[in-house]
Amino acid sequence: MTAADRNLPIGLRERVLAASLVARSAGQPVPAVRQISGADSFGRAADAFYDLLCALDEEDWPKPVLRDLDVQGLVGHLIGVEDDVQRGLAGDPAVADAGHVESTQDAAVCQAGRSPARTRDDWRRAADRTLDLVAQGADSGCAAVVAVHGMRLPPPELLVVRAFELWVHDNDVRQAVGLPPSVPDAPVLRLMIDLAARMLPYAAARTGLAGPVDMHLVLTGPGGGTWDVVVGPATRDPEPVAIVTDAVGFCRLAANRATAADLDVHVTGDAGLAADVLAVASALALD
Amino acid sequence: MAAAAQLCLDDPVTTLIAAEHCLRAARHASVQGVEGSDVLLAARLTAGDDHALAEVFDQQASSVYGSALRVLGNGSAAQDVVQDVFVELWSHPDRYDPAAGSLRTYLVVLGRHRAVDLLRSELRRVARQERHYRLTPADPPGSASDEVMAAETASVVRTAVRLLPDGQRQVVELAYFGGLTCREVASVMGIPEGTAKSRLRLAMAKLETVLDRQLLESS
Repeated sequence: MTAADRNLPIGLRERVLAASLVARSAGQPVPAVRQISGADSFGRAADAFYDLLCALDEEDWPKPVLRDLDVQGLVGHLIGVEDDVQRGLAGDPAVADAGHVESTQDAAVCQAGRSPARTRDDWRRAADRTLDLVAQGADSGCAAVVAVHGMRLPPPELLVVRAFELWVHDNDVRQAVGLPPSVPDAPVLRLMIDLAARMLPYAAARTGLAGPVDMHLVLTGPGGGTWDVVVGPATRDPEPVAIVTDAVGFCRLAANRATAADLDVHVTGDAGLAADVLAVASALALD
Repeated sequence: MAAAAQLCLDDPVTTLIAAEHCLRAARHASVQGVEGSDVLLAARLTAGDDHALAEVFDQQASSVYGSALRVLGNGSAAQDVVQDVFVELWSHPDRYDPAAGSLRTYLVVLGRHRAVDLLRSELRRVARQERHYRLTPADPPGSASDEVMAAETASVVRTAVRLLPDGQRQVVELAYFGGLTCREVASVMGIPEGTAKSRLRLAMAKLETVLDRQLLESS
């Protein structure tokens, strides 16, 4: 539709849109989300998870959560993850490509028969130690990339991944014991989404997305925003596809705790391509 | 087990298997076309979606422009109103509440308010300018006779001002010869702004009567 079709002066549309984007850049949510570090995101997620564990009753700990793990076993798994992350930070090649579940299974299983309080406190100490080691590493300027569980990430991004995992398991535990789900605060959510969006091209390369897709991803709600990412092989001009959905829902999808069918998704462009991109997002998670 | 722990470049085979499963599942997912609902548009604007801004412009700009044009009768000024309205919407999308009414109504009403404000502002400016021309000596004209007439007019004006009651005279001097706003005049004189305005109105009414008579007599 042209300006004349809309009975508007020629050039007004361009002038108004340009002036608007000077007042506020595209992609910036309102209100603006405060930027925090990866360490802050992990610290906040760890505090929230610890508070949840402290609020559990004794009878909650043996309740089944995931696969063959009860709540205590899941916390044990997280102790094992922290141990592997710390070995990765120290440059131990044995954990570089270790399986996330397999490598931590012993730590999960050995919690059986221990007091929940000891398991909880051991995990808290392990999480704090991870934060300390990253801070020390930052001070000494070492460990540009950490290799652990198949990931190759700088420490700040690795901590965002850890925050993501803690939030997901926080909700696993909540579901197991009948508590309402939690939502990360907006700055943490924003970091999680930002990392997931940046990793989509790598996930697409692994999953064989037919693409390429020029994705305009709009995530609504606190912590949301807009991301433009080209996903898929550069075999031809990318197909523009706009996907609009809820920010928390997208994170649940990326954590494989929801499917695209569970989300309220609005698409402009090829719906099939959009579904493929959402599937790639859900492939960011293993379990 | 770890969600998001697969944000990596070296995913194991299990990731591929899981991903293929997800691709199949997602193809059956119900993805809907983008709806132009105001709630969705508001959420997209809040998220910083510039595509949503362009969509809203294409849907609503002609209504805003037409409404502003009817108030202002001036295309250029109406364009300024359209720009103000959309910059406002984009800068503060949270000020629009879909529960309170449609986006179209919100934008048209916002545009109408802006247009009326602009019109009032312009009327005040023109009125000030007219009063200024009537009360201030004109620039030195070219001829000696013009200069004499101008000097006489200025003298008449100043004499008329001197005849005003003190309170009114001070207000006129500060506002018209000193160039202060009503608020500044009130501040300088230590009186409420409303009092300054009412004194100015009274003074102007008296001056207009006196000056019309005197200037007519002198011409």
